[in-house]
Amino acid sequence: MSLTTEKASGAVRAAESDTIVNYWPAYWTMICLAVFYIGIRIYEQYFGWKAGLDSFAPEFQTYWLNLMWTELPLEFIAFCGIGGYLWKTRDRNIDKVAPREEMRRLLALVGWLAIYAFTVYWGASYFTEQDGTWHQTVIRDTDFTPSHILEFYLSYPIYIIAGWGAFMYARTRIPQFAKKISLPFLLFFAGPFMIFPNIGLNEWGHTFWFMEELFTAPLHWGFVFFGWFALAVFGTACQVLDRVIELSKEYEADVLSL
Amino acid sequence: MTIFFGKLAEFARGRARALAFGLAAAIVATTLPAATPASAHGERSQQAFLRMRTLNWYDVKWSKTEVNVNEEMVLSGKVHVFSGWPQAVAKPDVAFLNVGEPGPVLIRKGAYVGDVPAPRSFTLQVGKDYEYKLVLKARRQGRFHVHVQINVEGGGPIVGPGEWITIKGDMNNFTNPVTLLDGTTIDLETYGITWVYTYHFLWMAAAAVWILYWFMTKGIIARYWWVKAGKANELITVNEKKFGGLWLAGTMLAVIFGYAWANSAFPRTLPMQAGLLKGIDPIPLPPQTVTAQFKGGSYTVPGRELAVKLVITNSGTEPVKVGEFTTAGLRFLNPEVFTTRPQFPDYLLADRGLSVSDPTPIGPGETRELTVLVQDARFDIERLSDLAYDTDSQFGGLLFFFAPSGARQGVEIGGPVIPRFQAGATL
Amino acid sequence: MSISTEAGAPAGKTWKSKEEFLGCVLLTDWILLVVLFAVVLGSFHIHYMLLAGDWDFWIDFKDRRMWPTVAPIVAMCFAAAVQSFLWQKFRLPIGATVACLALLVGEWINRYDNFWGWTFFPINLVFPSALIPMGFWLDVVLMMSGSWLVTALVGSMGWGLLFYPINWPVLAQYHQSAEIDGVLLTLADLIGFNYVRTGTPEYIRMVERGTLRTFGKDVVPVAAFFSAFISMLIYFLWWKIGTWFSNTKYIEAEDI
Repeated sequence: MSLTTEKASGAVRAAESDTIVNYWPAYWTMICLAVFYIGIRIYEQYFGWKAGLDSFAPEFQTYWLNLMWTELPLEFIAFCGIGGYLWKTRDRNIDKVAPREEMRRLLALVGWLAIYAFTVYWGASYFTEQDGTWHQTVIRDTDFTPSHILEFYLSYPIYIIAGWGAFMYARTRIPQFAKKISLPFLLFFAGPFMIFPNIGLNEWGHTFWFMEELFTAPLHWGFVFFGWFALAVFGTACQVLDRVIELSKEYEADVLSL
Repeated sequence: MTIFFGKLAEFARGRARALAFGLAAAIVATTLPAATPASAHGERSQQAFLRMRTLNWYDVKWSKTEVNVNEEMVLSGKVHVFSGWPQAVAKPDVAFLNVGEPGPVLIRKGAYVGDVPAPRSFTLQVGKDYEYKLVLKARRQGRFHVHVQINVEGGGPIVGPGEWITIKGDMNNFTNPVTLLDGTTIDLETYGITWVYTYHFLWMAAAAVWILYWFMTKGIIARYWWVKAGKANELITVNEKKFGGLWLAGTMLAVIFGYAWANSAFPRTLPMQAGLLKGIDPIPLPPQTVTAQFKGGSYTVPGRELAVKLVITNSGTEPVKVGEFTTAGLRFLNPEVFTTRPQFPDYLLADRGLSVSDPTPIGPGETRELTVLVQDARFDIERLSDLAYDTDSQFGGLLFFFAPSGARQGVEIGGPVIPRFQAGATL
Repeated sequence: MSISTEAGAPAGKTWKSKEEFLGCVLLTDWILLVVLFAVVLGSFHIHYMLLAGDWDFWIDFKDRRMWPTVAPIVAMCFAAAVQSFLWQKFRLPIGATVACLALLVGEWINRYDNFWGWTFFPINLVFPSALIPMGFWLDVVLMMSGSWLVTALVGSMGWGLLFYPINWPVLAQYHQSAEIDGVLLTLADLIGFNYVRTGTPEYIRMVERGTLRTFGKDVVPVAAFFSAFISMLIYFLWWKIGTWFSNTKYIEAEDI
């Protein structure tokens, strides 16, 4: 390979890397997640009825419990992996991030937040109300029902991983989030995260009130409380926008004359 | 307009359903050989004492096991409300006759306790027997396990025996005609759905227009900037306020019109009906002439054998034999009494599962101590053997005595049993 | 080592050009809209389904007393919080509508795909409560008055009172009655009875069983008025909660 070619390809790379905003990684992640969730939904359509009604049936073990024992370690690995990778590759010179690079990272964070929001939708809305569909239709005979295996132990960990990724991305690459800890961002991640351990309250409560599912039962209200903290997306968005404005001061007059 | 949206909704429904079914069918095609259908509905995870000592099901019959979509079948039988109702479960003061099935594959056209229609909840008396009947109409094609079930408030669903029902045909042809008080007949399966879609989606579309209108004026970032720059009050113009006022006026007009229209279109509406049904009476059974006094019992875990010592007194006029023990939907038969196998789901029928230490009939006026042995793998498969691990290790059930005339008497038995974990252990 | 680069941009500058800036703002606006909508959807939906969900899921829970009392109160929390954020930070009079639409989008997807698509309940058993006109009311009152106090008083009153009338156009048809085996049932009762829910017995319904009648026969006006009263209090509280969640505070790493 000649030196000229190498130089040329280096210039192309530089030009490419100079793109200030690229939401395609976020789009693709969301597309992949959507395809995955649709696949999961189809699996559920069939194996919910065929193998999910009786937790003591061998087919339940095969099609549902095995799924859970597979997903949980993978999720743990993904959580550690993403956090570890982002930390390992953190910007160790965070005080000297150039404005354009900082903007690029802020916009990348918006992409992360989009992924987090997307997974929050699937977890907190789609799979959670679906849990009501299932449990109010059939008999809830175990803590690990098909809808729980996909809701609590799949869709919740996935949004936790996405939130963790977003939080750690900001923490390791964006000066304002690296130097101090953003209170709203922390709440935005930690509140929905706490929904996962809150499953303990839910299942403990159900040991008293066996099998019939009243969705508004007080034992479910822990989920509600922690769900409120997702509203800290408000403050998080403001913190991002504050910095976007600071970094774009040169166009203030243009914006204010819109 | 409504017709257009109706057609749109129908089209969308058809397309989405076709897509969902198509994808599901693809999965089915690739995985069918590996999947085995579930027959139980979660009852096996209920504690054994709860299943044995709450409701004892007997004479359960499914009028058909193969029906076409729109065809009706009857699920009927009797249930004994156990006298020794466990303390851990609320008394059946509020109970509801239900069906254990995977979603509404059959709809419940009628439910009766005795001859009384029971579309709502009612009270069961402990120690009494009740006759029930469920009229079910096939809706969705497939092969489904269908149980009788009674839900007890504070206790949960208590599931009775289940049977496989094959439904042939196509759910798309299902209809559920209902005649209203004014004499018109409607199909409840689809009644009003198009209008529900139209009404909801029109409002949602209006909401999207409202949101996008404001979003498109300056977006999010610019507005934030304006507010930060102290220009918040310049963001909404007088014209925009006028537009908002008009928007709200239109909304209120639509709401008033919708409300008035609904009142004129449906002038006779009633509130939903609620409250406990009264007049549900137990079966008037003749006084019992056979009694069985519990004298101790054990459950041998490795042998799946329940051994119960009873003192039986026959004060009737005919000799009697112990023929059947039923509990938690299972039937254990004494082959000396049942020479032919009755029609009953195989997974619950142990046709050689019962034996007695002295098989000779108990004569009129005789009192005899007997050991009744209940032994079958079904005891274990249906997880009644977990009695040994329950917090309330008491069993319960109905023991049926048979006289030569064919007369049958069910006698409630139950009491604490001692688990034996060693093979070969005896009572 | 820094992984910062500054290739291609003028030294110290963020943007290469105004066009780049404006294009980026336009695109990011949309992404932020989707982010906010999805998060509000998820958060509001889990809140609403676990505080008022049973009434919202089933037609035979949609009674004259409990449902019009509980549903507006529970929905008010998020309407107020989202309004607080979008009004104070963006002067956008769409907060309540955003919240209502987000909730309904989440609900409709689930009712269609799961209640109908998975468990095969007809939509007339499982359609959600209508909320959108209440959102318009609250948003326009805030926009016109510019005051959260006025919105709390006037807006919340309308919010509670509007709930039943806006649902009545679809609900009325299911309150026609039929006689089944000599028992009187509304179609709402009958749908619930016909379409078996193994895990949801009839007695679990939290519906009107009382005997108090107002204005001759109906309990709805009183339920709506009570709901409006509590909605006012909820509005005050949740406006502040929305404001609090919009805070931009930072804490020291050592503090956690």
